[in-house]
Amino acid sequence: MTGRRVVITACAAITPIGHTRKEIVESLRRGASGVKPLKEDHLLSQFIHSQVFGTVDYPIEYDFKRTHRKTMGPVAYYACQVAKEVLEQAGLTQEFVTSGRLGVAFGSTHGSPTVQREIYKTFFSGSRSEFSAIGAVDYLKSMVHTTAVNITRMFGITGRVISSGTACTTSSQSIGYGYEMVKHGMQDAMLCGGADEYDTTTVAVFDNLLACSTAFNDRPHCTPRPFDVHRDGLVVGEGAGAVLLEEYEQAKRRGATILGEVIGFACNNNGGDLILPNLAGISETLRIGLRDAALAADQVDFVSAHATGTKMGDIIEAQAIHAVYGAGPFVTGLKGYMGHTMGSCGAIETIITLYMMQEGFIAPTLNLEEPDERCAMIRHTPALEERPMNVAAIQNFAFGGVNTSLLIKRFV
Amino acid sequence: MTREQITLKIFEIFQREFEIVNPGLDDDLRETFGFDSVDAIELLLEIERLLRLELTHEEKKMAMEIRNIRQIIDYVESMAKKREL
Repeated sequence: MTGRRVVITACAAITPIGHTRKEIVESLRRGASGVKPLKEDHLLSQFIHSQVFGTVDYPIEYDFKRTHRKTMGPVAYYACQVAKEVLEQAGLTQEFVTSGRLGVAFGSTHGSPTVQREIYKTFFSGSRSEFSAIGAVDYLKSMVHTTAVNITRMFGITGRVISSGTACTTSSQSIGYGYEMVKHGMQDAMLCGGADEYDTTTVAVFDNLLACSTAFNDRPHCTPRPFDVHRDGLVVGEGAGAVLLEEYEQAKRRGATILGEVIGFACNNNGGDLILPNLAGISETLRIGLRDAALAADQVDFVSAHATGTKMGDIIEAQAIHAVYGAGPFVTGLKGYMGHTMGSCGAIETIITLYMMQEGFIAPTLNLEEPDERCAMIRHTPALEERPMNVAAIQNFAFGGVNTSLLIKRFV
Repeated sequence: MTREQITLKIFEIFQREFEIVNPGLDDDLRETFGFDSVDAIELLLEIERLLRLELTHEEKKMAMEIRNIRQIIDYVESMAKKREL
């Protein structure tokens, strides 16, 4: 379906391997991991077998007014910080930001678990006075669209709001649906992304499903291991990522720096099991994405794989990549560096792909030392490649059978 | 609790919970400090803690008309008196 061209004119991320573009690129180039020991939370951590977490362990200097802070849990701090950086970088006028022509597509896995935990503590305290002490703002801090609306409030954004809460595809959907909003003229720009805060509840869920990595508790940096024969599960992480999507002619008119172009998006559902990866469903997503971008498979030269490091997930994904792209494009599982940052992974992986596209290198899959023979049919990236990247596909898959594929192109 | 004690406590609450330092007694809290309905609900919780009592739903609704610190002090004083605190 034809439509308007959509370009990326700003991006920012908070990741376990760095905050600024420089820090993130340096971490990728030297193979630094952001996976650290799981922190004691005096609730769940002692019962969880997986003792690793993709951790943001550096200070972030927030400069938010009290009137904004009061409705923000930790996840909204992350979201508003990357949104702020993106808006500053983009240099949009205040008139445009508040015009209704800029919308927000932003989400998280489940609002703020830290705040939800406090609410539950109050529920189960058995005290009536404690019960009435559930703050009026607790809902605003913990609701699933808390990131999106704290962003609109902070910057006075009055356009459309989309707030996906589809776990691992939250922010890839944000970017994809934002792209479609701009492409088809519903909005002239969309601020898109996702965030998730430090949360042991998510680790416990995956741990109970036996999907978490446990064999490297004493060597956190060695896990997760996407596509590697010794991989033993995913590592939950935290972070945030935001991109500004803008209609091309407007971006050009105002002299914006164009970082890349979004040329296609696909989202589908496996139509069945809510957990098991599905070869047919995933392969179809990748094919729809190519059709949307009007590309042949051999025009894609890089695939950012979802590759969480689980036994079955990586095999099915490798099969899908091979079925659609063959062994042509380089494939990297960026979660090797920072674990699975959940609601933010699609945005963070898109931003990292943009950085590599601009700097002309492809980062290897960290911890991929010996590819599992069942994943070996695709073109892995075992070592850093200094080469230009023109077209990249970023793919993400979520519990619930939701799949996405986003295609971006270098802007020349 | 005397009016002076209440005044002191209210100023403490405003500084601690709302980062509003030494507001004028008649300043319009919304216009001057962006103190909104969400803040008002939080303030009622603080008042309950201060007086160690539970305000009724009707009493809470009454407080929604309050616009400045002087009215807050009046309100707290009347709630305390009503319960002979």
